[in-house]
Amino acid sequence: MNYFFHINIFFLILFLTSNTYAQNQIVADLSQENVKISTDFQGAKILLFGAYDGQKGDDIIVIVTGPKGLVTVQKKEKILGVWVNTRKVNYINSPKYLSISSNRKIEEILNKKTQKISEIGLNNLKIRMQPGIKVENEKEWRQALTRNMLKSNLWSINENSVSLNKDALFRSYLELPSNVITGQFEVKILHYRDSKLVSQQINSINVSKSGISEEIYNIAQNYSTLYGIFAVLLAVLVGWGSNLVFRKV
Amino acid sequence: MYYYNLLNNDEILMYIYLPIAEQPIHSLAILGVGAFLGLIMGLVGVGGGFLLTPIMMFLGIPPPVAVASVANQLVAPSVSGVLSHWKRSNVDFKMGTVLLLGGVAGSSIGVILFNFLGKIGQLDFVIKSSYVIFLTIIGSLMFAESLRLILRTRKGKISRGKLHQHNWLHGLPFKIRFRKSKLYISILLPILIGVIVGIFAALMGIGGGFIIVPAMIYLLGMPTSLVVGTSLFQIIFVAANTTILQASQNQTVDIVLATILLLGSVIGVQVGSRFTNILRGEYLRLILSSIIILVSLKLLIDLITVPSDLFSVIISR
Repeated sequence: MNYFFHINIFFLILFLTSNTYAQNQIVADLSQENVKISTDFQGAKILLFGAYDGQKGDDIIVIVTGPKGLVTVQKKEKILGVWVNTRKVNYINSPKYLSISSNRKIEEILNKKTQKISEIGLNNLKIRMQPGIKVENEKEWRQALTRNMLKSNLWSINENSVSLNKDALFRSYLELPSNVITGQFEVKILHYRDSKLVSQQINSINVSKSGISEEIYNIAQNYSTLYGIFAVLLAVLVGWGSNLVFRKV
Repeated sequence: MYYYNLLNNDEILMYIYLPIAEQPIHSLAILGVGAFLGLIMGLVGVGGGFLLTPIMMFLGIPPPVAVASVANQLVAPSVSGVLSHWKRSNVDFKMGTVLLLGGVAGSSIGVILFNFLGKIGQLDFVIKSSYVIFLTIIGSLMFAESLRLILRTRKGKISRGKLHQHNWLHGLPFKIRFRKSKLYISILLPILIGVIVGIFAALMGIGGGFIIVPAMIYLLGMPTSLVVGTSLFQIIFVAANTTILQASQNQTVDIVLATILLLGSVIGVQVGSRFTNILRGEYLRLILSSIIILVSLKLLIDLITVPSDLFSVIISR
């Protein structure tokens, strides 16, 4: 209750003061800028809200891009009756998280060409293959990347999910799934009028492990042998301890 | 500002985020799986890892993490098991030491092989097909054996065979005497068994009990009473070696997952070993072998049916 009360106050102030802003500006904020992955992490839902200097028929597109890096696509083939991975393609700068939200269908906001030029849309992003890889059907591999990333919930496209109010306020929920990758996330808010970009703003979200989760992960990475020895000792102790406990029962 | 939960608070407590597998999992489900497999281990003497790793994979844990974490958890019930067998003087430490020398070497080779297969992208396939082969063989042998025993005892005959069969393998050089097992055989044979079991143990996330127990009975000719205790003794070291190597080479040991599993399993083992004298061994083996056959069938079906998507992705962390 309290929370939404504050939000409303915030919106009200923004709305009342929006005329004092320079023309063509977006002001946006997030309900959560630091996402902590702790032991009870189940995914996060973040509210993105703000004000824009809009007119009737203006559109808002929100693109959230996570850390970029190596994503490998593998293809299975049937060999001697069983399905085995036989070929792979490495994409070297694929976003490991991507969500595209808009107030209506993207194809209604921008034509195909503009989408392509401004890299809006799951298939318009310029993702490079590892140099030296040659495949006959590049498109098929790229579609496979998109399809599988969508299936894992790490990529998503949410048309009609940005709600606009009085051509001045917008809000949208950003969902980070529980298997999200840690790192810096860029939140880009684009304001379009008649298919032309009027203004934009970039915010960021930091996703990191925290608490015990973070410590275990760091120890496993940095002191890996000690971590292994500790894991074994813990198991030996529990095994031995259980024997002592149950002997008396 | 934490205002939104995907689930209500009761459910939040049940789920726990695994730091290495990087996903949440239902802690009670994992505890239950651990307890169930501990129970089987306590009742039958074998069967922790080779069922646990496939179940972890069915639950969506990445195979490398499943294999490494199950190796870690296996240490606990093995220690617990050895201690109770030791009390009843059912462990041949000399034989166990020879086996574990081979086992440690084998599991080191196994981890290297594991890395190599991961690099060429065939790890999942090799793990799954190894399981299909092993589980099918062990499951059907066990099934046939226990069925035969049940039918025989129904007829009321109890046959006593020789102490053990001698074969050419026993005639290899470097013979030494294993007093406890009443054996005078080549040291090469248990070392070789240790190496082979070690390789598969590291590769498949198993202790190797289900391979080494039959090998000890049929190849080495050890007395059945010593087999379980001795195999558990060597499993401690093979599993420990695998855990440390997996942790240092691949960072795939999920200590949270392993701990929940091992808490379940040590309780299960104790409960199970209390019931061994009440329940009939051959019936238990019949049930266990049916479970094994079902698991291997499920894995086999996964390998031979046309995948819903021929493509899959691996996201590097």
